[in-house]
Amino acid sequence: MKKLLLGTASLLAVTALAHAQAPVPENLEKLSNFQTTGTTEFTFIDQTGDYADGIKKTLERITLPDGFKIGLYAVVPDARHMAVGPQGIVTFVGTRKDKVWSVTDRNKDRVADEVKDFAPSLKFAIPNGPCFSKDGFLYIAEQNRVLVYPAAEFFYESPDVAAFNVVKQGELIPPTEESYNHTARVCDIGPDGKLYITLGQPFNVFAPEKMDLYNKWGIGGIVRMNTDGTGREVYATGVRNSVGMDFDPNTGDLWFTDNQVDGMGDDIPPGEINHATEAGQNFGFPWYGGGNTRTNEYKNDEPPADVVFPAVDQVAHAADLGMKFYTGKMFPAKYRGAIFSAQHGSWNRTTPVGARVMVTYVAEDGTATSEPFAEGWIDENGEYLGRPVDVAELRDGSILVSDDLAGAIYRIWYEGN
Amino acid sequence: MLRGIVLALGGVFLAQGAFAEMPAGDPEAGRKKATMCRTCHGLEGLAKIPIAPHIGGEPEGYIARQLIAFRSGERTHEMMSVVARSLDDQTIADLAAWYALQKVSAALPAGKTDAQAPETCVACHGAEGIATMEDVPNLAGETVMYIDTQLKAFRGGKRTHEIMSGIAADLSDDDIRALAEWYSGINLTIEKAQ
Repeated sequence: MKKLLLGTASLLAVTALAHAQAPVPENLEKLSNFQTTGTTEFTFIDQTGDYADGIKKTLERITLPDGFKIGLYAVVPDARHMAVGPQGIVTFVGTRKDKVWSVTDRNKDRVADEVKDFAPSLKFAIPNGPCFSKDGFLYIAEQNRVLVYPAAEFFYESPDVAAFNVVKQGELIPPTEESYNHTARVCDIGPDGKLYITLGQPFNVFAPEKMDLYNKWGIGGIVRMNTDGTGREVYATGVRNSVGMDFDPNTGDLWFTDNQVDGMGDDIPPGEINHATEAGQNFGFPWYGGGNTRTNEYKNDEPPADVVFPAVDQVAHAADLGMKFYTGKMFPAKYRGAIFSAQHGSWNRTTPVGARVMVTYVAEDGTATSEPFAEGWIDENGEYLGRPVDVAELRDGSILVSDDLAGAIYRIWYEGN
Repeated sequence: MLRGIVLALGGVFLAQGAFAEMPAGDPEAGRKKATMCRTCHGLEGLAKIPIAPHIGGEPEGYIARQLIAFRSGERTHEMMSVVARSLDDQTIADLAAWYALQKVSAALPAGKTDAQAPETCVACHGAEGIATMEDVPNLAGETVMYIDTQLKAFRGGKRTHEIMSGIAADLSDDDIRALAEWYSGINLTIEKAQ
């Protein structure tokens, strides 16, 4: 198996190097040539003790449907979006800081026992979005760069991993359009084999003079490209800041969450889960701030006639982030094919809402309905005890939920009654 | 370096000018109003999310000036521009008074000494990232990406300041990253004000 993985990696090295000829950062250049950087030290995160116990105490108050349980899977600082290795060896977890974590459950008791930083010799910048191809290539979408790590499930055990440019630093978006808040990316590989990346736009509502530039780059949208970075095209526009997407395993369609306009009041505009049925669709921003609520800034402008409205509205300001179609067999039948999604929780609402895991059922005709699945991370004083970010699925059919406030990953499994 | 200090002092006078008409802040009122800040900045100013700076123990004038800049549109941010739009002068003064009241301390990580601190920054931000004068933010323990983003905003003109615009103009991406890593690596403690 090891040989096979290395073989795949070498093959990619040849093809990747062919188009990665421009200067790359020093360490990346070495790693692209399978050289050592001299960095040998990992940062390990303690998985036991008072901190872990505090999180477990919070989990006692989380409510779930009958028969479901939640437990602490791993302590992972700043945990954002997750990518479960296709071989089930390791889960990679992005952050909005400068680290990516690798999370390993070596003894397979469904609790991770090792959390360490991935590729410590590389300097990451908001490496929020890891995603895997089925054949084991790890992609990490950063603020303004995308790298691929072949056979990451094998190489992560060493501080030096194989790494190649997919999108060079400064070429995902024009550097002048970088921001901190709305440049947390997520990525996924579509059924077409292409790499899809969400590109948030860096404002609450952008000014009209930005429109052409953003449409050209797919900022405030979703772009797709071949996995070597070629053939980039704008897949969707009219998106404010999507930080979650997944492909419906039955239809192959892309679904994605979107975060809606702030400052219009506590109860508008609604959050969104969207359904893209083809390339080139417009999802309504900035004419619509969420759902069919018009923004004040564009209230006198005619919206495009073919705007696609959300498949399902969510409560206003709850901040819908990561989402995953459930493909496992562990959960009862009604959850199979449903979407599990994380609400990060509001930051600017009089009474906070969100901080929970939602489940959305998609009917045959494409209509969808949502209900809370796991909640209880807002206490009686309106203080957050946790803020869920993303949902992933383990091979046993249980799901993982990341939380960047607590710095943790939870596992939710079904035991029955 | 001397030039930097002199210019910095100039910045202080200018900042004070902007506050000439500001009401006096009441920290207790500020604590109550800080419920609108705490989800991101924490009630005592130790940030809860990486995109937000730690504002506990920040100089009062700096906090007030930034809120005024967000309100006027001089400084912009996806979230702060929305929040600051609705703040009146008294609220800004109260919030600044509350957060400034928090006691902060900073400690270098093991193996580092003040002498290794970035020379460009220490006159105003201190070797340990605690501001040495008004209208200067603490940098201790801010995330690498927060400092990186702000320096690039100064360099590119999205954020402007009498001193910082000039300093950032000469910095490369690698310089910025190195400065950010120095201050991010410092351990910040905020002691709740009584």
